[in-house]
This record gives sequence, structure tokens and C-alpha cells, in this order.
Amino acid sequence: MSEMEKQENAAAPKPKKVRPPRQPMPEQAPEDRARNFREVPYGYTPEMAMVEASRCLDCKKPKCVEGCPVHVDIPGFIRLIQQGKFVESAQHLKEQNALPAICGRVCPQEEQCESLCIIGIKNEPVAVGRLERFVADYERNAGAVAIPELPPATGKRIAVIGAGPAGLTAAGDLVRMGHAVTVFEALQEPGGVLIYGIPEFRLPKEIVKAEVDYLRKLGVEFVMDFVVGRNASIQELLTEEGYHAVFIGSGAGLPAFLGIPGENLVGVYSANEYLTRSNLMKSYLFPKYDTPPIRRQRVAVVGGGNVAMDAARTALRLGGDVHIVYRRAKEQMPARIEEIHHAEEEGVHMKLLTNPKRIIGDDQHRVTGIECIQMELGEPDASGRRRPVPVEGSEFVIEADTVVIAIGNNPNPLIPRSMPDLAVSRWGTILVDEETMASSVPGVFAAGDIVSGAATVISAMGQARTAAATINRYVRGEDIVFPSTKNN
Amino acid sequence: MIELTINGNSVHAEEGETLLKCALRHGIEIPHLCNHPSLPPYGACRICMVEVEGMRGFPTSCTTPAASGMVVRTDTPALQELRRNILGLMMLEHPSACLLCGRRDLCDEFRPQAEKVGRTTGCHTCNNKEVCEVRSLSEELGFSELPVPPLYHHRPIERSDPFIDRDLNLCILCGRCVRVCKHQHGTSIIEFVGRSSISRIGEAFGRTLLEADCRFCGSCVDVCPTGSLADRYAKWFGKAESTAETTCLFCDEGCALSLGIQQGKVVHAQAVDPDKPLCVLGRFAVAPFMNGFDRLSVPQLRVEDSLREVSWDEALAGAGEKLLPWKGETFALVFDSALPLEDKFYLKAFTEQVMQSPHALEAVPDSKGKAKVVLPHGVKAVLSLGSFIDPAEAEGLELLILQDVYPGALIEKASVVFPAAMFTEVAGTTVDASGTARPLFAATVPPGKARSDRQIVMDLAGAMHETVLSDLEEKLAASLKATGDPVLQCIRKTVPPAAADPSLRRDWFRGRYLPGLIGGLRSLEDGSSFEEKPAPLPSDNRDPAAPPQLFQIIRKREVAPNNHEIVFYAPSVAKKAQAGQFVIVMADEKSERVPYTLCDWDAEAGTITLVVQEKGRSSRKLALMQAGECAAHIVGPLGTPLDIQNFGTVALLGGCYGIGAHIANAKALKEAGNEVLIIMEARSHYLHYYLEELAAVADELIVTTIDGSNGIKGHAIDALLRRMQSGARIDRAITVGCPFMMMVASKETKETGLPMFAALNPIMLDGTGMCGACRVTVQGETKFACVDGPFFDAHQIDWDELKDRRNAYTDAELNSLLTTEPVAHAHHAHSGGCGCGRS
Repeated sequence: MSEMEKQENAAAPKPKKVRPPRQPMPEQAPEDRARNFREVPYGYTPEMAMVEASRCLDCKKPKCVEGCPVHVDIPGFIRLIQQGKFVESAQHLKEQNALPAICGRVCPQEEQCESLCIIGIKNEPVAVGRLERFVADYERNAGAVAIPELPPATGKRIAVIGAGPAGLTAAGDLVRMGHAVTVFEALQEPGGVLIYGIPEFRLPKEIVKAEVDYLRKLGVEFVMDFVVGRNASIQELLTEEGYHAVFIGSGAGLPAFLGIPGENLVGVYSANEYLTRSNLMKSYLFPKYDTPPIRRQRVAVVGGGNVAMDAARTALRLGGDVHIVYRRAKEQMPARIEEIHHAEEEGVHMKLLTNPKRIIGDDQHRVTGIECIQMELGEPDASGRRRPVPVEGSEFVIEADTVVIAIGNNPNPLIPRSMPDLAVSRWGTILVDEETMASSVPGVFAAGDIVSGAATVISAMGQARTAAATINRYVRGEDIVFPSTKNN
Repeated sequence: MIELTINGNSVHAEEGETLLKCALRHGIEIPHLCNHPSLPPYGACRICMVEVEGMRGFPTSCTTPAASGMVVRTDTPALQELRRNILGLMMLEHPSACLLCGRRDLCDEFRPQAEKVGRTTGCHTCNNKEVCEVRSLSEELGFSELPVPPLYHHRPIERSDPFIDRDLNLCILCGRCVRVCKHQHGTSIIEFVGRSSISRIGEAFGRTLLEADCRFCGSCVDVCPTGSLADRYAKWFGKAESTAETTCLFCDEGCALSLGIQQGKVVHAQAVDPDKPLCVLGRFAVAPFMNGFDRLSVPQLRVEDSLREVSWDEALAGAGEKLLPWKGETFALVFDSALPLEDKFYLKAFTEQVMQSPHALEAVPDSKGKAKVVLPHGVKAVLSLGSFIDPAEAEGLELLILQDVYPGALIEKASVVFPAAMFTEVAGTTVDASGTARPLFAATVPPGKARSDRQIVMDLAGAMHETVLSDLEEKLAASLKATGDPVLQCIRKTVPPAAADPSLRRDWFRGRYLPGLIGGLRSLEDGSSFEEKPAPLPSDNRDPAAPPQLFQIIRKREVAPNNHEIVFYAPSVAKKAQAGQFVIVMADEKSERVPYTLCDWDAEAGTITLVVQEKGRSSRKLALMQAGECAAHIVGPLGTPLDIQNFGTVALLGGCYGIGAHIANAKALKEAGNEVLIIMEARSHYLHYYLEELAAVADELIVTTIDGSNGIKGHAIDALLRRMQSGARIDRAITVGCPFMMMVASKETKETGLPMFAALNPIMLDGTGMCGACRVTVQGETKFACVDGPFFDAHQIDWDELKDRRNAYTDAELNSLLTTEPVAHAHHAHSGGCGCGRS
């Protein structure tokens, strides 16, 4: 090759696309956000979104879709972003996912769609979650949320129990299949864990409200302050009330405690209570709202999941000095890396390999501290994680005036207790056929945490979609096998 | 010199001195009540009677001048008997059952702090409990019984005035308030109204204090021996932990203030000299102003477009850097007169020596205290200690640093915000209008990280690496010499002008409009009460044919003082309700979720009946609602129903809000074939309600009262034990009421082997087992009262833990009084139907 040719080659290289790096999402500085309840990330601008979207290879066989519990057409909606068709992109997204603004914020994408992204093998994967969030926000903020045309009414009535992620997803799917859907919710606002559990700074409640309003516009009826199992049994819904099918999405609303001495002291809270006070009852807006906030100096949060991070970051915003107490190592925390990172950035202290032994109180039953023992990692246990074992004689006390127990939830027994035919596991979860989400009782389907124990929002939604599809077939007269009959 | 004998001791009296004064001066205690040291003698209550040889009857020592040769006895058995009887008569019109209660000590131990309620009917719910003169007098005199059943006047609690709550049901007609008003203002706006048993203290034409042109000096509150008149802001704090004195800075009269302090915060301010009242600002505005919810408490620095909370070091460094280019005449520092001389000295020194500018500008207030500064031409950078510059003028500045106490319009423009300590938080000297130096004491703790103004400018100079301010102490001392030694103006010669004439009151402090911050002042300003909510639907106008709305109040009445029976339309609750269950109610969307036991329901009409006791913010909202209005949310029936079987004879013990709950329980138990014995306790006869309804559903109804005014004297458990001792067979007991009543019942039956179940009412949120707030320990195990309860084996309940968990938010709620606007909660429209009694 002559020099000339070389130069020509250099001047006009084979058109090789220079892939831009993964676009970071701008967010409030840790110093700012640790003292306010506003949402942490600001979200992409349209320019950023288009740059990020341009990174997608538009694979023929997109792996990301396989990683998504609800099988969103990821390359499809990203392609529309590349073309600047944001509203169309959102509408395309909504065909498979009723709650994109929420999923874009709270899904663990790094374990799902993004973990399978081809680009992710050598570089950072396409930021699917951020793009999802962007288009959903864009559509809402532009006031472009359109009500799709609904198929003719089927005349079938479906009762959905619980207005959390599973219930809202099922309701959205079912109403778009032409059924009449009523959602029953025990609390005063629809949203379930999205309202009472996940804090404002991670998921603005305005977004949940908007998604619920959207469902209302589609024709979903919401009945608040209604406790199925108290105001009506499922049997009554199916008979007296005339519903053709019942979907149970009542969640895992029974807090687990450690079973150590001192757990009923004043100042010990379940994460559910701690977060509900702040999120649902808006105690952080006190005195505008009546529920007083728990403003204390030294807060210890026990647990290493997302809920523990939410509780710790809420405590920080209420002005406390916060320690997370976790019995394993940081790498083993079940929380999303991003959440752990955010918490640390904001100033939450981590007490790792630390196991609480008892909670100490004063003569007025008020918490003064938490006695812990140092742990070290031993052999792997059944979960594959190295089992923490106590270090003899290493007990120490963490001073605390508030202790939040965030070690998970058990299924709420209210509904199973009111329906003896309903087959439940020994943990109290409802047994279903995982292919169809049909329970042991004909006409009754279940999904979400009441089936799987405490899990993620998106897995609840995935199950709810399956359940909705089965319900659709069931009310249209198809034969559905309900597990107890299957065994016989 | 007058010489006389009291109780055998020879004493000297001064000319014109009364026997009471003389005796007290010599350390001889004579019980007294209507007498007050700062008021002229009156002789109304007659508690201070003595025997004087040669005088007929029993003269009152507070009105009898000491005379030579008198032989006086103050504590003969006859006098003691007489005093006890007089107090007994007085206590007929004052809720006095708690004074007669055999379990008084146990109660004080179980609930040392008074519980906040609407109308008070006993000591444990009385704001005056810790300082009550009637309580101490009754102990002193050995008061132990009422001659006849007491009379409760069912007077509405007067909450329509700013700053002052009046519950005339507690009034003993000592007249101190009337006299102090007359004494201090020449004429009293309150008087004795009506005669004999309907006599009361009030405004002659039934107007509110505000309408009657009250000056709100608070003297009547300060002299009241009972909880009848109360400072709304301070009322539930009990006795102040400590007191301190300082000089008021709201204007330049230099009045001395006596501050009541709780946990480093001022809860009330009173006149040091009870004879010369304060103006409304000094008496009622100090505490809310100092403790306002919005007080600046953390330094802030503008980064990009938003103010960010930062450390002092960062804020000072940031401000120092920004100030450097503005040394010279382009800089000005503005402040007003409401600062200690010391602070002003340092501010001036900072301006002149560090910033090398002549512009240390003291804003001059107008007659209302509003101070404005016009910036000299060319000033481009300003350090402002309050809102003294026009926001429009601030727009033109290159740099604005605020050193302030509350956020205001200027904060939008500020590059740095320093939180400042003020007033009762800083020590120093001030000079009053007469030119006399007055001392200021740092009596309370500044909020958060706030620092004194002088400290801030010193720190700022330090951050700018300036040392010129180091030798200021001496110069300051020299300059202060000229003002003379400061003295507190404890004894005023005259009533402060603003206390006599409200038009002279200042409305501004540090450039801040006080009525904008303090609701009570706002209602003084426009002469009206607050309307907390739009006028509700009058119940009478409701179309009877129209179907009720969800959660609408169908009927409401106050069945006993502070206990409101509310009938709600809640068909899905009524349809499923069972005995022993409860509902959770939210009065409005901002209210707490509060559990209430279902007293009764009508599935056909779709209604439920609750008895609501006014106790906190959210229950007050319900108590103030009227028929026709709707609650935001009612969810239920919740909880496991009462176990209904044929047990044989079941005793139902109830008190307080538990009285209503037993109607449903009795019906269900009776239906199951039980013999039902209902025992209802109340402190006094007028606190019983539903007696007819209860009698109708029980085989036998026994009534007990603590003061013995109806039925058996004592608690319900006393009647039950008596019945059991007489050999009657009781197979099971169920107790519903306050934790104290249930705890007593359970402890005193523990040894008898009687199965007893108590309905627990801990704090709840969702009521479906989701939050775990309602954890109780029963037989060493954790239970959720909302789903496992409310009924538990009374003998296995950890009562101490329950009590402490119920009180978990007491402090928070009290502190919320310090930071919230109390007046807005207190006012409500009086169009009738709310059950408060006012029309």
C-alpha cells in the first residue's frame, strides 16, 4: 500500500460507528438531597435520551427482552426514541407495561434487561431503565397521555384485591381486554407499596397518582377503605357480588421481627411502620399533616435490602445520624447496588458483619441502644452466600434512640384466614400454578408478594400479567386447571 | 406598733396590715384561695377564716385588719371542719372526683403527665394539674367527701379567642380574674354574670373576649387558681422545668419578662411584676415567635441556583470569599434596634474595620416597629440582619447575605444565609425608651445551629483572616460604661402603653410582620376569628329523602363532657360489624388514622355509632365536625370479634369511651344465652351516658362513681369484687376503657381465678397487621392488637409496656404545640350541631 493510499485510508476510514459512553443521569448532589424529600435523579433531557438510545444495536434477537419479566419490546421503544418520537415510544412501551414511569425507577434493571445487553459484555449496557423513565415522564409532562381505544365490553366483572403493583397491572391489562374491573384497597390511597413503602425521593407520589388516574380513565373502578376478608370474603365477591373472577394481589404486608429481646420497646419500628408514617401519612410534611414524624438523633436500621436503604435514607432526611446494621458483608446485601451507593453517598454509615443480639431500653421502655455481635464469613450456606458466624466475645453496643427492623415481610394472613379452601404454603403464601397463576379455588388467581413472598415490584407485575391473561381466558369460558384439582 | 397574738405567739403587725398578711409574714400558714398577693383583699371564698376572741363568728383573715391586743386562732378543729365544708361546697361545681379517688396515687404514678383533652373532667386530664391550688388545698384540708352530688354546668369550652382557652366548668368563682382585670385596666371586661347557681364569669353580653375588646394581657390566666383559664400555647406543658428573667425586645419599653422554660425552649412569658401586665406581644407572642416551625436553623450557601444546607465553616468561607471584592463604600450592613448593644458594637466594628465601609446602618422603626433602610448610593453588597430592604431594591444588588431568624422574600436573592439567635437566646444589654440600660440574658437555646449575631460577624472576620477585631472587648466595655449598669425593670411605675392601648402595639420585629407569623395576632388585627373550614351543611337542612354520602355524619351529640357520639353512614362497615370490633377513622385527608370501637350499628340503615373522645389533633377534628359533614375515610370492621359463647354469667366492666362499646357486647352475649351483668364506672354522675340503653340490654346494670354521686362509690372493679365476695358466681369478665381502669381491674382480680379479657387500644396505623405499631406483649409473646386483638387475657398483658407504648408520641405531640399554629386548630364556626354547646 502506497503512502498515498495509506493517507486516503486514514482520511476516509471505513465508517465505524463511535459508540458514545453510557449517559449518566443528572441527580441532586448528595449534600442537597440528604436533607430534602425531592426525587434524587432529575432524569434525562431529550438530548441525553437520544444519545443513549443511539447506543442500542437493535439486535435481531434481543436478549434484553428475555430478561424482562413482562417482556417489554425494548429495542422497539428505543428505536422510537432514536427517531425523536417520544410520545409514540411511551405508547408502544405501555402496550406491555402499564406502569413504565414506575418501573423505570424501581426495577433492578442491572439484574434483568441490562444484565443481558450485548453491549454490556464489553462496555456498559444501554440504560434501558433510564430511557423507559424518560419516555414515560415525557409523555406525562407533555400532557400527551392518550386513552387507547378499548375493545367492546365483555360483560365480565373482575375483582382485584389490593391496589399495589400487581393489582394495578392486572387491572390495567384486564380493563384493556374489555372487562369491568373493580380494585379493592384497604388503605386510603391506591398504590400499595408504591405509596406506603417506597419514599418520595425515590418514586414521587405524583407519578403513582398519574398512573392510577390513567387506570381510572380506562374505566377501572377503585374502592378504597375496603378490606377483603373483613368487608367481604372472596366467596362473597364471587357469589353475592357477582364477580366472575377474583385476582389477589394483597402483597406481603406482615412485618417480620428478629425475635430478640427488647423488640417491643418504644422507638423500635418495623420498616413498614416507619416508612408508612413518612410516605403514606406524610409525617415529613408535619405540621401540615397530623401524623408526627419520628425525628430522632441516632437511628439504627437492621437489614440490607432495598427497604432498609429506604428507611435509612428517610431517617437521614428527618435529621438523624443513621447506621445500617447488617449481618453479612456489603457484597451480599440484597439491595440494589445503586441504592447502597446512594445511601452511602448521602452519609448513611454501614455496620457490616454485625448481628443484633438484643435491644436495650431505659425504665420508660425507650430504646437506648442495640447490642450486637461481630460476625465473620464462614462456609457458603444453602443460598450460596458465605454464612456469617459470630465472633466469640465480640459483643458491642450501638447507641440508638430509634431502631428500624427491615428484615422483610411475611404474607398477610387476613385473606387466606378468611378462605379455608385456599391452599397456602407453610410460609403462608398462596399456592398457584406458576404457568397460569391460578389458585386452588376456581375463579381465584393470585400474584405478587402474596405468592412469592417479599420480592420486587416488577416480578409482581410479571406475575400479574400472566394472571390477567389467564383470567381473560377463564372468563371467556376456556378450561383453566386450578392446582388442587390438577393434583387429584 | 401593733401587737397581737396568733396561735399563742405574740406577733407584730404593720399599720393597715390584714391578719392573713401578718400571719403569712410570720410563717403562720392560713389556708386561703381567693386572696392573691397582688390584689386587694376580697373575702369571697372564706377559706381563710379565723377565730378572734371577742369577735362574733369567724372573720376572714384576708379582710380583717390586725389590731392591738387581738387574740387570734387559725387552726382549731372547728375552723378545720368549717374550711373542709366550705371547700366541699366549692367542689360541688368543680370536677373534683379525682381528689376523692382512693387510687389517686396509683393514677398519678401510671400517668404522671396530664392528658390533653377538650373539656376537662378530672385531674389527670387537667392542664393545671401540676400547679393546681385547689389540689394542694384539698390535701391540706383533708377533703374527702362531697355533701351532695356535684353539679356540672356543661358549659362549652371557649376556644374562639386568640391565645386563651376558657373552660368555665372548672371555675370556682373566686373572682381573681375579674379583680385583676379591674385592678389593671381600671374596668373589667369580664364580670360575674347571673346569680346563684347559674352565676358565672364572663363578658356581660356573651361576647368573646376579642369582641369585648380584651387587651390579652393574660393577667387573668396568671392569677387563676384552677385550669379554668389557660394559655393555649403553654397549657399542656405542665409546670415549667425552670424559669428565667430577661428584658422584652418587642419594643423599647424595656419590660422584664419571666420565662417558663422546658427543654431549653420558652413555653410562656409572664410579667415579673404581676401588678403591671405585659402587652399581648410580651405575654403571648414570645413563645410562638421563638419556637416557630420555620425558624432558620442551618447555614445555607447558594450553589448554582439553589440554597444548600452547609456547615458553618463552609458558609463562612463562602461568605468571606464573596465579601472580599466589596470592601469599601460599596458595602453596607443593615440591622435594627432589636439587638443588644454589644451586637451592634461588633456589627459596626465589622463594617468599619473589616469591610472598611462607613455604612453600618441601623434601620429606624416607625411607630408600628416597621424598620426600613434606604441604601446609600453606590452600595452593591449588603449583609442584612432582617428584612429591612425592599425586595425590588435587593434585585439591584450584586451580593446579598442574610443573617436572619425566619425565611422571607429576600431569601430568594441571598447568596448565603446565616441562622441567627435572637431575643431570649442572647445575652447583652439594651437601652429602653427612657435611656435606662436593661440586661438581656441567654435563657433559651437557639434552634439548630443558629449563633448570636456578634458571634457570626466575629466568625466571618475570622474566615476572612482578619484580626482587627481581636481587641474589641475593652473598647466595648468602655462604650458600655456610658450606659450605666443594666437593671431589670421588674417593678414598673405604669402599665406599658401597648398593654393599655392596642393601637400602640408594634407589629414588626427584625423586619418581620408578627401577625404574619402568629395566628393569634392575626385575629387581633382583623378582629375576627379564623374560619378553619367552609361553613358546613347544617344538619336540619339536609334533605331527608336524599341518600347520605359515604362517611357522612348523620347525627352527633356530646353524650358526656368531651365524649362525642357520632353516627356515620358507612354501609360496608355496618353490614359486617360484630361485637368487639373497631374502625379506623380519618377525619380529613391530613388526619392521623385513629382506631375507635364500634358501639353500635344498623346494617339496614348502613350506619355505625362511635364514641369519640377529644384527645389529640385528629380526634379534635372529629369532635369539631358537625352533622352533615363527611369524614374522609372509615375502614372496618377490624379486629377479631369478641368470643361469643354461653359462658354463664358475664360481667362487662366499662368506663370512659368503653361505656359505649359494651352495648354491642352485651347484646351479643345475651343472645348467646348469658346472664349479663354490666358495671359502668365514671368519675361522677354527669359522666355516665347510655345508662338507659345499657339497662335495656343487660340483666343487671350496676353504676359506680368515684365521687359516690351515683351508685356505688369507687371503680367498676370495686363493685365486681364486692359482688363476688357476696358469693355471686361470675364466669367471665370483659373490661373496656382506659388502660388505667383495665390495668386496675386486671391486677385486682389476678388472684381470684376469674377469667378476664381486656380490649386493648394501642396506637395503630393500618389496622390490618401491616405495620406492627400495635404490638403488645401477652404472656411473653408479641401480639398485634389490630388482628390478634383487641381482646386479650387481661391477666397476661404487660400493662407497663402498653402504657409506655401508648405514650410514645406524647412528647412529640407536645413539642408539636410549640411548632404549630394552635389558634387555627382552636377556632371553628359556631353554626350549631358540632356538640360544643355554643350556638
